[in-house]
Amino acid sequence: MDSVRVDAGRPPPPASRELIPLKVLVAGGFGAGKTTFVGAVSEIPPLTTEQHMTAMSVGIDDTAAVPDKTTTTVAMDFGRITVDDQLILYLFGTPGQSRFWFMWDELARGAVGAVILVDLRRIDDCFPAIDYFEDRRLPFVVAANAFPGTEVFGDRAVRDAIALPAGCPLVRMDAREPRSCMDTLVALVEHALARSVG
Amino acid sequence: MTPDEGGHADRVVPVYAFTGGRTRPAGQQLPLEAVVTATGLSLTAGPSLRMESRAIVEMCARPKSLAEIGAALRVPVGVARVLVGDLANGGHLEVHLPRTADGDAGPGHAILGRLLDGLRSR
Repeated sequence: MDSVRVDAGRPPPPASRELIPLKVLVAGGFGAGKTTFVGAVSEIPPLTTEQHMTAMSVGIDDTAAVPDKTTTTVAMDFGRITVDDQLILYLFGTPGQSRFWFMWDELARGAVGAVILVDLRRIDDCFPAIDYFEDRRLPFVVAANAFPGTEVFGDRAVRDAIALPAGCPLVRMDAREPRSCMDTLVALVEHALARSVG
Repeated sequence: MTPDEGGHADRVVPVYAFTGGRTRPAGQQLPLEAVVTATGLSLTAGPSLRMESRAIVEMCARPKSLAEIGAALRVPVGVARVLVGDLANGGHLEVHLPRTADGDAGPGHAILGRLLDGLRSR
């Protein structure tokens, strides 16, 4: 039994436990498996946050030459992994459409890194995410999600096709499998740790 | 009252009515992953809080992130941020911020090492 006795009218002592939140971003093109990935490893049913965003958007569409103030609502899936008695890891699925990228900077700030999911049948979809995280020097791994009926490509061919930098891990995985997603997270943290100064 | 047809039939109060029209928290800008816990004060002062603030304090008997609070109350994160900021300023909530090595950088080496150990052991 792990019930806790609470005296009526007297509050228990405040929890003085120090907690440390962490976050990982799960990026990739539309339909690459971001929501599936978050759901596979989260200890809570994946939730959706809603953000009202106001942003000055300039030239987002080819036709938009004039700066325009836009307000939009962006939904993001997220999940949680309680790592130990102090560390809590949050996983945030990034909004897929590039016109919502103005909010990525807030999301990316302080992140452990990113898992970029790739559907090898639509490999081009991952390029914007790779460019984004490379530019900001945020650690990332590319996770080739196994979709049925995908032609088999060797690692070399995949790395060449997405021009993946030599030090960046490429992981073969299946976003439907919790074990596979956890291994992908481990690969990301190993990579982030190797890049951080000891 | 007729529920609107915008997909939020159970949200009958405009979300910004919760915050008295303010859209920025009084204190620091809390990131989505900031974790919040209830302090002892909130348990004694609970009944005097407004309903939505009380709901936050009660759910934070266990650690909750700003994102989770927004999702549970079905309000945008910006609204949750204002409410949590006020409750923290009032001593009802303790906020646990991410510890980043410096500014925009990610967590430091020691924390990453613990994260790796924790994930590997699962």
